[in-house]
Amino acid sequence: MTSPKRLSQEHQRSLELRLKAGDEHALGELFDLVAPWILGSVLHILHDEDEAEEVVSDVFVQVWRHIHQHDAGRGPLVPWILSIARNRSLDALRRRRRWWRKSARLEQAHAVDVGAIPPAAPHEAAVPGWPVHREVHAALAALSEEQRRVVLLSYFEGLSHGEIAQRLHQPLGTVKTRLRSAHQRLTESLRHLKDWVE
Amino acid sequence: MTDWLGMLAAPRNPRPDLRGRMLARALAPRRRWGGPLAAAALITLAVGGGGGAWWAYRTIDALTAERAALAARVQALEDTVATFIHGPATRLIQIPVSTGGRVGSVTIFADSARHRWLVRCDGLAPNARDQAYQLWFITGRGMSTAAVMPMDEDRPMVMALEMPPGGVLGAAMSIEPRAGSASPSGPMVFHRLL
Repeated sequence: MTSPKRLSQEHQRSLELRLKAGDEHALGELFDLVAPWILGSVLHILHDEDEAEEVVSDVFVQVWRHIHQHDAGRGPLVPWILSIARNRSLDALRRRRRWWRKSARLEQAHAVDVGAIPPAAPHEAAVPGWPVHREVHAALAALSEEQRRVVLLSYFEGLSHGEIAQRLHQPLGTVKTRLRSAHQRLTESLRHLKDWVE
Repeated sequence: MTDWLGMLAAPRNPRPDLRGRMLARALAPRRRWGGPLAAAALITLAVGGGGGAWWAYRTIDALTAERAALAARVQALEDTVATFIHGPATRLIQIPVSTGGRVGSVTIFADSARHRWLVRCDGLAPNARDQAYQLWFITGRGMSTAAVMPMDEDRPMVMALEMPPGGVLGAAMSIEPRAGSASPSGPMVFHRLL
């Protein structure tokens, strides 16, 4: 796998233009750059490596086929791909939930404390995108414990406000307030994320 | 910006074959059924729609003509019946008949003012396939045909007839070949002078 060290806004725009022009090499290059992060995120939601790789494959196929739907004016390419990955993962999770129906395996998977996502080990710092990873961790760490929990339950498990309230035994209004204020703080602290530099 | 949250999880290198599998899937020629299907649907719609419109146009046209003809016929019959029933010069003649072992009747409304007859036949036995009832005017010059009435079903029959010039002395009915005869040649159903 070739691993370029930098994914600047300019590089993202260039990749996007090449993808829109049907440049197959651009797809491979994009995969090399962001697949580890996509897989990490998907795996964190699904806890199943085979299924996670299927989803990652789906994500890149979708990016290739629907790259024209990405509006560069609304944000960089990587967050768009991350949002596709999240949606696909949650779809897979919901499918699995329908099949498993409160099975012990699902409960076991959920027993993992979602509030404790440790930062990646230092040896992974060579992966492109490492600074973004650190900054997102820092932004999340700056939230209160309560805010962090609702954000993680919402993002990585796709739980609705009501489901989060039920899970945490908190009033619905409290959950909504925490989520709103957490998103505001995250938006503020991640606003400067434009370039993805090694 | 919260979409960056996906970067929270630790990166995980995919298995080496994933890249190749993904590229093979993404770059495989897609079955593009959309175009041909859309074209086929369009053609079907055009042909079906055009044919349907033509069929509907022709059907409506034919039904309109038929409706107009039926309405004219009903109006004529209403007029005829009203004239016969309410006309001061109308005579009613009812003639019992026996055909094929059953009893029926022939009712004649004779309008001497307008020289028309309204004839209604009830209870006549259906004809054999090669026969028909034939109604005759009895005149001073002999019998002249009034109407040939092939009867294939057991149901009443009504008809309006123009009386021949020179006056009518009576009426007769016989069973004749299906095409009718110039003069009575078969069994006589009735013969009545008015």
